[in-house]
Amino acid sequence: MNITTILYIEDDHEIGSWVTKDLAERGYEVVWLTSGEEAVDKAAGSQLAILDVMLPGLDGFTIGQRLKKAYPSMPILMLSARTSIDDKLQGLQFADDYLTKPFHPDELAARVEVLLRRFFAHVSEPTELKHLLVYENENRIVNRLSGEEIILTGKQFQIFSYLIRNLGQILTKEQIYESVWGETYLEGDKTLMVHIRYLREKLEQDPASPEIIETVRGVGYRVRK
Amino acid sequence: MKINELVKFRKSRKFRNSLTSRYLMIIMIALLFLQISLPFTALIYFFYENLTKSSESVQGKPYPDALALEKMWHQEAKNLDGRLGEQINESLLRLWQTYPHSKVFWVDRNNKTQLRMPDQGDIPEVWNTADIISFMKKYTDADPFTVVAFIGDQENKGQGFMVFQLPRELMKGSSVAGNNTAFYGIAMSVMFVLFIAISWLFFSRIRRRLLRLESAMTAPRDNGIPAPIELKKRDEIGQLEAAFNHMIEQLEESRQREQEEEQLRKQLIASLSHDLRTPLTVIRSHLYSLQKEQLTEQGTSSLALMEMKISDLATLIDNLLSYNLLTSGRYTLSLETRDVLRIVREGAAAWYPVWEKEHFEVDINLEDDPLMWSVDEQWFRRILDNLFQNIVRHAKTGRYIGIWTEKREGGAAILIADHGQGMDAASQSKGAGIGLAIVDFLVKEMRLCWEVDSSEKGTTVILYHENLNKI
Repeated sequence: MNITTILYIEDDHEIGSWVTKDLAERGYEVVWLTSGEEAVDKAAGSQLAILDVMLPGLDGFTIGQRLKKAYPSMPILMLSARTSIDDKLQGLQFADDYLTKPFHPDELAARVEVLLRRFFAHVSEPTELKHLLVYENENRIVNRLSGEEIILTGKQFQIFSYLIRNLGQILTKEQIYESVWGETYLEGDKTLMVHIRYLREKLEQDPASPEIIETVRGVGYRVRK
Repeated sequence: MKINELVKFRKSRKFRNSLTSRYLMIIMIALLFLQISLPFTALIYFFYENLTKSSESVQGKPYPDALALEKMWHQEAKNLDGRLGEQINESLLRLWQTYPHSKVFWVDRNNKTQLRMPDQGDIPEVWNTADIISFMKKYTDADPFTVVAFIGDQENKGQGFMVFQLPRELMKGSSVAGNNTAFYGIAMSVMFVLFIAISWLFFSRIRRRLLRLESAMTAPRDNGIPAPIELKKRDEIGQLEAAFNHMIEQLEESRQREQEEEQLRKQLIASLSHDLRTPLTVIRSHLYSLQKEQLTEQGTSSLALMEMKISDLATLIDNLLSYNLLTSGRYTLSLETRDVLRIVREGAAAWYPVWEKEHFEVDINLEDDPLMWSVDEQWFRRILDNLFQNIVRHAKTGRYIGIWTEKREGGAAILIADHGQGMDAASQSKGAGIGLAIVDFLVKEMRLCWEVDSSEKGTTVILYHENLNKI
């Protein structure tokens, strides 16, 4: 697998060197800039951008918008000490995630991973889930125990890959429905539940006590590693 | 328009620009209506007559008007003073030939009818007093036009009298009195209708402008302030419009000032947040590096405590700044009708990993039906975050969080419960107050209500809509 390059813009040297070091230890190549003037030029070849907001010269919002315009398929994570709702909303107009300082490096790494998975499913290796091996780029799921391929219908696969793209996160039924069907979820609609039941029948070893697609009672569903 | 322009505008008002002057003018017209209109119509009539006169002689009105004929007849009578019967006959015959359509006769001093031209059967041969009276009665102001003159033009001369009769239709200026009345009537009613039309126009235009003003005042633009009105006239309504525009200008200015202040405060708070949190991030980064070192057990637990305090401090900063921003009155929530249960579910999904990590028993039981409240979605999430955070921080010992809905009269309430040691025990935790103060502030701003039911066995927070009756 190719090394993922991350563009990181941070004017504070202590934080910058720490994050750069930490991400490098996690196997990423980091291009660290202390101001945003050259961001668009240097971003070529990067798969993801992490931006601070308060920077000398151009602020992170402006840089982010320019990057998004130049590289629409590059995920952007805002990493800011500005925590107000307005800042978050402004950031999320173009950015794909917003993390506030002080942050735990594990959380940053987790969010980077989620973003990369969401944007570049095709570059990732097959995902191992209990007894399953999921080749997301090939739309193929193999039962490791029996070696058999599991065939899903279109909607079933869409639901499952949405859950995998947000691995470890709990998704509400509204979020899943609206992402897969592209329509507003109407309360009381049982379509999703029916699909999940069929999905479990195909995926789970014991559909009565599911291990792959976990039900979080009262909240939604989750697929964990 | 600036104030001095408004003053200038006010000063520039002149009497002729005022509605009062225009109204007074209409009243004056009304008062002078009769006095002016009568001579006016007469004048029109006169011109009309003059215009038609020239064509009348051609159209069979060969004789002069009554006045001229009367004068002529009396002159002739005067000329015949003292003449003999033969001479009078001759003279009248000549006159009759001049006026061939007329009837002419005369009566001598013995009341005997002499010359009758043409021969008229209805004239008595000999006149007695009764005949004279009945003749005079019959022909006074009648058709044919009749002139009676004493010969010599004096009654006491006793020379008899002579009579001249001519059908009025052959005379100039002899329209029947009825025609005249009709003309005046029509002229008067035209003027009356004109007067009504002018008054109606005057008031309908005032009314239209007032309505325009009203609709301009009640139609706000996107910024919630109505648009200024284009000034057309400088009368009283024009001044009202100018004053209205001035008011709008002041409103816009103050709105702009307000927005600038809000912006300034947001900027200040953003900088503060940045300046306070950046050093915290640096401290945390060093803590993280330390954690990788070989440490004693005590060292590890010290680091864990420091890390927890850093998180607390970060939350405190966040809450403090949010509280400052919210309570400054410079922040406006954008309330929209939303399914709050959906927001609660999403909030719980975000907090779930934290609860799992802390080994909480999570009991979520929300209704399937949406619960529509008018809320600011972002700030409603903040309410939930603060409540959930409080539970994680201060009710950890209970290892329980319950979120459910409860039917109440008029709708549902959201309950968030823990099995901690209650709010009083949590008071040792610094910073809990500000988080709840924000919850309190936001709940009130969104016209919601909240109750806290706290005991040593746990705390339950109940969120419900204002119009909901209490249990």
